[in-house]
Amino acid sequence: MAPNTRIILICSGKGGVGKTTLTANLGIALAQQGVKTAVLDADFGLRNLDLLLGLENRIVYTAQEVLEETCRLDQALVKHKRESNLALLPAGNPRMLDWLKPDDMQRIVSMLAEKFDYVLIDCPAGVEDGFKNAASAAQEAIVITTPEISAVRDADRVIGLLNTKSIKPIQLVLNRVRPKMIASQEMLSVNDVTDILALPLLGLVLEDEQVIVSTNRGEPLTLTGSKSPAARCYGNVARRLQGEDIPLIDPSKEGQSLRDKFRRLMATKIF
Amino acid sequence: MATLSQKQIFKLPSCKRNDWRNALPKKYSDLEEKKIEVDCNDWSFSCRDLKQLINLLENIGIKLDKIYAKRTETVVSASSLGISAQLILPRPDLQESNQSHKDSSAENSEGILFHKGTLRSGEQIEHEGHILVLGDVNPGAQVSATGDVMICGRLMGTAHAGKGGKTSAKIVALQLRPLQLRIANQIARGPEEKPKDGLAEEALIQKGTIVIQPANSNGFCK
Ligand SMILES: Nc1ncnc2c1ncn2[C@@H]1O[C@H](COP(=O)(O)OP(=O)(O)OP(=O)(O)O)[C@@H](O)[C@H]1O
Ligand SMILES: [Mg+2]
Repeated sequence: MAPNTRIILICSGKGGVGKTTLTANLGIALAQQGVKTAVLDADFGLRNLDLLLGLENRIVYTAQEVLEETCRLDQALVKHKRESNLALLPAGNPRMLDWLKPDDMQRIVSMLAEKFDYVLIDCPAGVEDGFKNAASAAQEAIVITTPEISAVRDADRVIGLLNTKSIKPIQLVLNRVRPKMIASQEMLSVNDVTDILALPLLGLVLEDEQVIVSTNRGEPLTLTGSKSPAARCYGNVARRLQGEDIPLIDPSKEGQSLRDKFRRLMATKIF
Repeated sequence: MATLSQKQIFKLPSCKRNDWRNALPKKYSDLEEKKIEVDCNDWSFSCRDLKQLINLLENIGIKLDKIYAKRTETVVSASSLGISAQLILPRPDLQESNQSHKDSSAENSEGILFHKGTLRSGEQIEHEGHILVLGDVNPGAQVSATGDVMICGRLMGTAHAGKGGKTSAKIVALQLRPLQLRIANQIARGPEEKPKDGLAEEALIQKGTIVIQPANSNGFCK
């Protein structure tokens, strides 16, 4: 295995908190920064990483055929049409639910590691076999959660399991942050979450309608150079992952219209 | 032979040999169950040893369900791997006599189980005796002891002290904001309001109900 490849599991426990969206956006953002990145869809029962990346119609083979040696790895890899540093590999076929074992996962990931600088593994929800298989080849992990009690609880469970597998470091991404709701204490604050999970915060991602728009287009936000809040957040996560020191956004200063900002500025000047 | 529980316990011989792997049976054909419990006796297992044991067993389709051990290190390794573990202390009459209290009541023969590190959601420790956790007990995690539960950290999950009926048992934590507290057969929901920081609190039974009060200075981690 190439020594410098970073093999990162993206997991959450709870479903629908944004694993696949993060994988797609992070994959694009890293590729744009010039590192060769592979995204591996380990959630092949309900695969949709290909959809988010707009690559659904280009898939011919999966990791399964590579391991069976009916095709070569580079035949199965789907290169992104606009970002040539990024490639997608579906781990398996939705019809072959129980095919993939930890061994297979490790073999395919070590093949990817020879060609790429980053391997991002999009993990299925839950803590059962799908999660265990996906985790079996990972060296480090990003746990993603939303500021909701149930998501945080599940993230905590997953972190406990990752700890037993000596996956390190484990970093946290807090998704769908809504500054207004935090301000009115209707939502767990960033501190509430990190207090329980006790992980280093790799980034916050703001709630953003553009995420949904981009999902439907099959063009991750980071691809289109969008200036939308979430696009900025995903970009920051990628740069921090690369070791850049970028301050976290402050939710209390986000999500205000220019007019609000102006008014606040005035207020601080006057009083 | 018909056993009460459906699990088989496999006991390692006393640790005279230099490696526990040599102590494993050569064939496992007499293990019929898919789940077994292993009595680690006086072997000291690190997390790595335990993981190897788990893998060995997993390869032949057997799941390690619980371990018993005479060494606290083994119990701590097991708990940190999420395997339920129970400390078995040698009977007091067999212990070296440098112990001051040789009174052989059941209570004194119980040991303290130490757990270092945060217990996360879904993790659980159980022990016959007292439990001392050095770390937080997160929401969704569970600690239960037949004796006292002491937490050098925040209790946000569920704690059960005096499991088995000991009504004098108590729960002590640096921050007591549990989901649920149980002492002996009493159950209480955690308080709604958050406690003040920096004030250790204890829960115990007074006049038949569970009350929470500032911890007695000599009651914590004594
Ligand atoms: N920051 C965000 N702002 C708004 N919507 C978001 C954000 N992040 C994710 N979503 C939306 O949440 C939904 C679930 O996202 P996604 O599919 O990435 O989750 P997942 O964790 O991969 O789900 P699953 O567990 O089913 O695989 C999608 O509809 C996505 O558009
Ligand atoms: Mg997904």
